[in-house]
Amino acid sequence: MLSRSTISRNAPRALQKQCSAVNGRGMASAATGLQYDVSESAGVKIANREIAGPTGTLALVAKAGPRYQPFPGFSDALEQFAFKTTLKRSALRITREVELLGGEIASSHSRENVVLKAKFLERDLPYFAELLAEVASQSKFAAHELNEVVIKLLKYKQQALSANPECQAVDAAHAVAFHRGLGEAITPSTSVPFEKYLSAEALAEFAQQAYAKPNIALVGSGPKNADLSKWVGEFFKDLPSAGSSSQYKLQPNTASKYHGGEQRIASKTGNAVVIAFPGSSAFGGSSYKPEASVLATLLGGQSTIKWTPGFSLLSKATQGFSQLRASAKNHAYSDAGLFTITLSGKADQVATGSKTAVDILKKIAAGEVASEDIKKATAAAKFQALESAQSLSTGLEATGSALVSGGKPYQIGEVAQSIDSVTEAQVKDAAKSLLSSKASVAAVGDLFQLPYGEDLGLTV
Amino acid sequence: MSAPSLASYIAKRPMLKRWMMPIANWYTDAAGYRKLGLRADDLIPEESETVQKALKRLPPKEAYDRVFRIRRAFQCSISHSLLPAAEQVKPEEDVEYLSPIIRAIEKEAAERADLDNLVVKR
Repeated sequence: MLSRSTISRNAPRALQKQCSAVNGRGMASAATGLQYDVSESAGVKIANREIAGPTGTLALVAKAGPRYQPFPGFSDALEQFAFKTTLKRSALRITREVELLGGEIASSHSRENVVLKAKFLERDLPYFAELLAEVASQSKFAAHELNEVVIKLLKYKQQALSANPECQAVDAAHAVAFHRGLGEAITPSTSVPFEKYLSAEALAEFAQQAYAKPNIALVGSGPKNADLSKWVGEFFKDLPSAGSSSQYKLQPNTASKYHGGEQRIASKTGNAVVIAFPGSSAFGGSSYKPEASVLATLLGGQSTIKWTPGFSLLSKATQGFSQLRASAKNHAYSDAGLFTITLSGKADQVATGSKTAVDILKKIAAGEVASEDIKKATAAAKFQALESAQSLSTGLEATGSALVSGGKPYQIGEVAQSIDSVTEAQVKDAAKSLLSSKASVAAVGDLFQLPYGEDLGLTV
Repeated sequence: MSAPSLASYIAKRPMLKRWMMPIANWYTDAAGYRKLGLRADDLIPEESETVQKALKRLPPKEAYDRVFRIRRAFQCSISHSLLPAAEQVKPEEDVEYLSPIIRAIEKEAAERADLDNLVVKR
């Protein structure tokens, strides 16, 4: 075992060394290898980063999430219909072929996008490029697949959602904050009659619009630029450049407007309170405010280090509550954002916890916060931003989304710089402006105990 | 699903088919199911997984009409009567509505069996 004196002697020195190394390296070298090269092939926008390695990832990001869906449940169904039977081959054959090649295919959707993702060995790029093109342009949308597979899966998803009060509360907060558009539920809740809108023909028409050339972007990580643009040019050239105009077309892209308000949902599954304010959009959006992400890490809630609450104000304040989970997050979208404080757990602890959270926000606004904490929060925010851009699970969608909605990819270096330049005063001003604006409060669970927004001292 | 048959052998040869068609048409008419208001696909035995699945995949209107035809034929059978000529199924109405779905399901099953018994050579 190391003696205590050794650690105390060496620790500061090690720390010093690390800091100087970071300063010396600067941003430039950290950002290379992360930056996407943007090009266009056969009318499809492509962002790619070449990474030397044996595997590659290719994602198709379509601007067809719930924000743009014509009727409830369409984005979910479109996501589930990915890699199902196409005009050329059956769903089973696709699955078995991918198994044989040793790849991974997945589909997901967020509030704004539907993402089809394929991970594969380097040499299989042509196969997977063709597969994504086939799914986008030649999916069959068979009625029996809708009834036998897709609707059943959708119902399971709904049940999972209704068993999760935290997700329900976040959805409800979005609904009161943005009404339509971003306010649409990410998956329709169990009481939404989505079946009456859903049919195979309707989905086929929606898909034609959703996967039209101007509405998608391809994001690659791993393959060579030349290879990717060659194969995309070959396979994606048959994609329609505009869908047929029908009643199942995408919702027009209207700018999001923040409304605010309160929603309370009785539920037996658990308790959650979400306190939300207008936040920061994604980088490149009109309302991008780096201080919102710093404020989110300053409030924090979830420690990044084991066995300690960490520096974040929420986790320090809720240390005494054994059955409470608190976290703050800035949900960033292409043209708006929602800054949320989420609390879930036992009803009485959620009630007191939410009061504490608002008190902390008021303290930050009044400037009663150590400048050291803000520095730590800035570092954490920068780490989170860079990490999410680097990791495949979040970075691909962010890049694709930026490309489809703005035509400009995520600039990692600039994001880091803008977070670095956030000052203490900016964070305090951000907190002040949050408190002065209308809040969106959503409570799910035992409503007898959960507080109203007014009880928390918020203007709803 | 079916007994061994020469149908496909004959259908492939136009000359032979031309000779056989009148006989086939006479035979189908003589079978008498059209006089009870049924179509040929209504006679397919239901007691198999494939056909059960195909029946589930029928569009709602087709499924309703099928049940209607079968019940009407049942009533005719009980009362030992035939439908009036106007209500009997005409040859041009006697089209396949279930067989294409059954063939699709059989193709799916065959594909699954093929893929399950696949030998990979690298």
